[in-house]
Amino acid sequence: MKVFATSTDFDYSWEEVSTSNWRKYGPWNEKTPHVIAVDTLSRTIDPDTGILRTERLITCKQTAPKWVNTLLGSKDTSHAYETSYVDPKAKKVTICSMNMTYSDLLSVRETVVYRPASSNPSARTTMEQNAKITAFCGGWQKIKNSIEQFTVERFQQNAAKGREGFEMVLEMSRKVFAEQRELRILQEAKTALAP
Amino acid sequence: MSASLAPECNGVKERYDSCFLKWYSEKFLRGNATTDECEPLFKQYKQCLGKALKSRGIDTMLEEAREDNRENDAQHLRGGCESLVHPAIPRESCVRILTII
Repeated sequence: MKVFATSTDFDYSWEEVSTSNWRKYGPWNEKTPHVIAVDTLSRTIDPDTGILRTERLITCKQTAPKWVNTLLGSKDTSHAYETSYVDPKAKKVTICSMNMTYSDLLSVRETVVYRPASSNPSARTTMEQNAKITAFCGGWQKIKNSIEQFTVERFQQNAAKGREGFEMVLEMSRKVFAEQRELRILQEAKTALAP
Repeated sequence: MSASLAPECNGVKERYDSCFLKWYSEKFLRGNATTDECEPLFKQYKQCLGKALKSRGIDTMLEEAREDNRENDAQHLRGGCESLVHPAIPRESCVRILTII
């Protein structure tokens, strides 16, 4: 088993981060072309807690080295299942993902939490990312290790790209939001001035 | 917004995603989420997607993932998130690896 953990702060409010998270893999993110589709499967609000629960299917296309394909079978398209929980009162987003492809050989489980940063809760957001990677096969430690090592390295690369891409999305969202607000003010002013 | 894995669903998906994003930022985050006005669009999108998932055989993979995810639901809809332990290693996978090698 391999564990991967990291924590980063974004210079954006929790509201901005939690909203932009829904468009993290959209066209504004140029860093994660391996994510080719994101589909929402279900969406409910828990009546007791007010937590918004969303199920999504993430589709990726990424090539793997030949030895990995030999071991796991070559599939260039893979799927991940994601459930997220947004607690608007506690200001907490929790996103849990797992691999659906190769799931009989390998388990990749990731948890990401977004919370207002303790240093500046109204303007900064902390992201905590944890992943656990386990290859299955009792006895064959060497093979297990190399599969896990490859997966953790790929995971780290994708996580770094994901962060960079998310920064781009956050920046664009703020710009577009400001533009929309300006437009609205202009239109309102026009209507007010109209005879 | 991101594409759908089924290109034929892209149109309705885009309409639903925009509706949701507006509802999320303007209502849900502000504590005014009494009704979900995007539900009719979501129904259309789900209908389209459901067919695509079935024809690609993804629906059965999803059932398994949902089963594995139950512990997450129990924790996050009620708080806490520690155990990410996977159930016992399936024997078949080891046999498969050994046969390949």
